[in-house]
Amino acid sequence: MVYTKKSPALFIIGVIMLAIWWLADSGTMAPYIEHLANGKKYKYLTELTTLPLYFGAVAAVIGLWQWFGSHKESHWDYYSSSVAGGMFILLIAMLVRWFVAPEVAVISTGMGKVGETGSYIHKLLGLNYVVIGILTGIIIVNVFKIPAWAENGVRLSRLGLKTGVILLGTLYSAAELKNLGGLSIVMIGFFVLGSVGMVLWIGARRNIPNSMGGVLSAGMGVCGVSATVAAAPVVQAKSVEIAYTIGTILIWGVGCMFVFPIIGNLLGMSHVQFGAWAGTGILNSAQVAGAALAYQPDGIETLKVAEIFNITRVLVLPIIVLWLAVWYVKREGETAHKVNVGTVIFEKFPVFVLGFILMFALSTTGIFAPANHYKGKYFGNTPESGFKEEKLLKADQIAVLQGEASKVERADRKDALQRLMENGKVMSIADDDTLRGLVNAKVVSKDANKILKGAHKAVRHTAKKIAAFRDWITWLFAFGLVGLGMQITVGSMRQAGGQPAVIGGIVGLIKAVASLIVVMMLVSETV
Amino acid sequence: MNEEAKFDRGSALSIFGSDRREDFMAMVFALAIAFGVYISY
Repeated sequence: MVYTKKSPALFIIGVIMLAIWWLADSGTMAPYIEHLANGKKYKYLTELTTLPLYFGAVAAVIGLWQWFGSHKESHWDYYSSSVAGGMFILLIAMLVRWFVAPEVAVISTGMGKVGETGSYIHKLLGLNYVVIGILTGIIIVNVFKIPAWAENGVRLSRLGLKTGVILLGTLYSAAELKNLGGLSIVMIGFFVLGSVGMVLWIGARRNIPNSMGGVLSAGMGVCGVSATVAAAPVVQAKSVEIAYTIGTILIWGVGCMFVFPIIGNLLGMSHVQFGAWAGTGILNSAQVAGAALAYQPDGIETLKVAEIFNITRVLVLPIIVLWLAVWYVKREGETAHKVNVGTVIFEKFPVFVLGFILMFALSTTGIFAPANHYKGKYFGNTPESGFKEEKLLKADQIAVLQGEASKVERADRKDALQRLMENGKVMSIADDDTLRGLVNAKVVSKDANKILKGAHKAVRHTAKKIAAFRDWITWLFAFGLVGLGMQITVGSMRQAGGQPAVIGGIVGLIKAVASLIVVMMLVSETV
Repeated sequence: MNEEAKFDRGSALSIFGSDRREDFMAMVFALAIAFGVYISY
């Protein structure tokens, strides 16, 4: 069959994008942008005056060809037919990020803060472009249905998410992995093995088939849908059992994605704490990313921590597959067909995880940013390394610090503070770390802390390449998550009914609560 | 709706014939983006 639909849809999408660009670039939209900024600086102006131009031009040209060209069945026809749906998702992501989410924030701010929480309702509910984008996708697929011309493109969303995860590797440095890696291995090891064991144990007591229990345990324990697919042949799961498991994971994952950020806000969790909790407690990779971005929509620290935990979990997959293989063969005895576990692991291991490691290896060589970068930022206190002389501390700021210096008791902090006051800038990476510790310890006054934070920012510079990667990652995830919303149908939710939903619910709840307790007890701001 | 009858390749979640192929395509895209960023900035 010919997949490319002779439809004006893609051309119209291109025209809409170009119209958005023109309205923004010409200043016609300025009053509306000022309204959306709500008294602050509108963050998306650079994106708004570039991206719709590039993508709109591409969509308009390909749209004309799809509309008026002749199409024959071929590989090219199959893959190029996905452009319309891809641009459809992208347009929705653009509209939500630039206009809908800021408008929701304006309305929410106008309603005032909620009770004693001190937060606005959109912040408490995590109603940012990520969550609104997914909700928009869910509404479109369940209320309006996906148009035929967009169906192929909607199935590109997972590709976007995987590409984003691979590129995340560029943002990590060896220093971060050293800090986070150990903690994530301990936590993930405990919770993954615990969840798998619990599902198998409860499943046996509730008399569900071994194949159902096996595939559900992998889905609940490891990384959701991909683990389910990987474990299915090992436990000889039937397609309906895979569907039940995926339905259970989806309903739990989607629920967690909305509830976790709300709880995180109520508990005042740090970015590291929330990332660790989401990466451990939420079942599916996409929803981990969704919750992390929902918690911190304008930064990437939470997402980075969550993905480290998530990727650690994916790396446990071969062990779980081995465990399930042995467990299944034992339970089923001679009725079990012989399954080559090594072959299953080789065939089903998610290769994109290796891509993440490759990007990390490339990043560690220093080709994207100075090799000592931390969270995408590197230290530099000379003009050659990016330090601006106007950022030197002023006399009044030094006076404030001198007035507070007597409160500092630790010798290393005293020395670092002394050097800062003498030179007007942070003198080394070690001093920077020590002074950050002083800020976190809240020893000195708020004013002094503000000056210390300013001094820290003055010597930390974001590499341009890393900033570019952040933008790419943000958009790939926005694209992937809007598309993900378009795959969440009421039918797939209903598939969770019955025993798998009960067992999944019990294990999912225990995992979420227990991991929250462990994170709050063990994970500090800087790990 | 029977997705398999409608699309003779891929699945309801992906246009690619297998997860492995999708993973490789993601790697190709990521490397292309990384190369673009490397030479542009």
